[in-house]
Amino acid sequence: MPPEGSARPALQRARRFLIRTGPAYLFILPAVVAMLFVHYLPMAGGILVAFRDINLFTVTRWYEAPWVGLANFVQGLDPAGFLGARFWRSLWNVTLFGAVTIAAGYVIGMAVALLLNRPFPGRSLVRGLILLPYITPDSVAYSVWRFIFQARIGLVNMWLMKFGIIDEPVIWLVGSNSIYAVMLASVWKGWPFAALVLQAGLQTIPRELYESAMIDGASPWQRFRHITLPMLAPVTRMLILVSILWNYNAFNQFYVMLGRDPGPAADVPSTLILREAFSTFNFGVGTAMSVVLMAVTLLLTVVYLRVLRSAERGQA
Amino acid sequence: MAVGPAKRRRVDWRTVAGRIGFVLAVTVVLAVVLVPYLWMVSGSFKSTVELQAADVTRPGQEPSWIPRQFTLDNYRNVNRTVRILDYFVNSLIISTGTMVVGTTLALLAAYALSRWAFPGRNAYIVSVLSTQMLPGILFLIPYFILFTWLRNQFGLQLRDTYTGMIITYTSFALPFSIVMLRSFLDSIPMELDEQAQIDGASRLRILFSVLLPLARPGIVSVAIYCFIMGWNEVLFASVLTGTGTRTVAVGLLEYITAQESRWTMMMAASIIVSMPVLVIFSFLQRYVISGLVSGAVKG
Repeated sequence: MPPEGSARPALQRARRFLIRTGPAYLFILPAVVAMLFVHYLPMAGGILVAFRDINLFTVTRWYEAPWVGLANFVQGLDPAGFLGARFWRSLWNVTLFGAVTIAAGYVIGMAVALLLNRPFPGRSLVRGLILLPYITPDSVAYSVWRFIFQARIGLVNMWLMKFGIIDEPVIWLVGSNSIYAVMLASVWKGWPFAALVLQAGLQTIPRELYESAMIDGASPWQRFRHITLPMLAPVTRMLILVSILWNYNAFNQFYVMLGRDPGPAADVPSTLILREAFSTFNFGVGTAMSVVLMAVTLLLTVVYLRVLRSAERGQA
Repeated sequence: MAVGPAKRRRVDWRTVAGRIGFVLAVTVVLAVVLVPYLWMVSGSFKSTVELQAADVTRPGQEPSWIPRQFTLDNYRNVNRTVRILDYFVNSLIISTGTMVVGTTLALLAAYALSRWAFPGRNAYIVSVLSTQMLPGILFLIPYFILFTWLRNQFGLQLRDTYTGMIITYTSFALPFSIVMLRSFLDSIPMELDEQAQIDGASRLRILFSVLLPLARPGIVSVAIYCFIMGWNEVLFASVLTGTGTRTVAVGLLEYITAQESRWTMMMAASIIVSMPVLVIFSFLQRYVISGLVSGAVKG
């Protein structure tokens, strides 16, 4: 009986596969379901929502909301329109914000990592203390900075007045200054992370490299330039890349320090989209902006995964 | 012998200058880190009246480091204007729930990734890694619509419930937790599994009684990560929590309203809100740091 004879090995193979590999799928199932529910379904649904007119009245029956084609995208992205102008400005703001905070965080983090690289009494205490900003909850840290930047009762203005740098209190948290205030607070909160990662990286550099360089008479700067920096290149690449990607997440510092509407000078995509959806209840336009932001971050993620792959291959 | 001490002294001077410079540099770093905390603590002991009278433009009226009138009222009345202690309980429930569910799901998934070469494995890893990088705002709106739809269609209330928040944060914590636990499980030799299998242990049994004790440092790191994630998250909490589930991360902002700025109370509340994270950090610093570093380096 040829049909049965050929079916049996196939069935057996399927059975063996199920017994051997089946459990793997059972084990990842709960995690997959959770991520489907929170990440993938909404993201797929978001693309549909972006083409519909969804407001406070249609949101409960979103699948019956009228299709509006590209209208949401036009409204949200047309640089000549009010919202579109705000959106592109917000993308520019978050990019500028990231460029400054990532660069400053890296430089400060590197300096402190090098400073704390040699042993001294109390080093582990200092290393622990400098991590405080990083582990302090965002809303606490940025609330304190908001307090510090208050015009009339703030620490920053008090010191600037005391040293005669300004004659009148500066308004930090409204208008064009606000993004710089947020940058300063974010650098304060972000650099310890860079320092931590670079510290870990420094420990992987073999001491012999420095010893032989010193025998050859290399100056401290030469040792840094030709040993430390190149040896830290892989760590640096990952750190900067992850920071750039995370940067598009930037929300907490703006929301906590400047409130729901940080104003055009300090609006970032997250605050703008949040407002568009949950203050104006223009869910469709908010989602259309999200879709554009998603395209930007997906592009960056592809680059990130490429680098991650090549880094793993380099290690192996 | 006559030259020796002189030479040594010259070298000593340079070392001394270097030491002083070093100590100075470390002091500056620590000052930069600590000044905001000191300002927070000082503010939390000031009276509202004192702060309202303060003014940087009037000499003698500047806000001071040491409270002119030391008071504990901000701590005593901390739950009065804003129900921060209730929010604290909400945060504890949500963060602990996220920790338990998140760590368990991550452990199961990491086990599969570490012990099986199943078809679709690489695609799964890529999807896990890329979700971690997507800004939350991308799926906040559709996620909110999904919640609304589930409530209207099936009567399933997820917004402003502990369950809804725990599901949300678990999923946020999963990518990093899975990657981290997988690398921990990978470092445990397969022979242990095989031995246990010969002894007749089931897959789950192997995971929980053979691998789990060995992977404990990784599990602790992941559990801490999940907890802190839930404690600190702002964006989704600002939309998905309501009066019944408001977490500390967004509740803290309620001290400042359009009508009134209660800075002194906010600073007292800030200290209370930071406590759990600071306690975890000081006792389990090793685990926190290993989690942070591998999170950055491995993505």
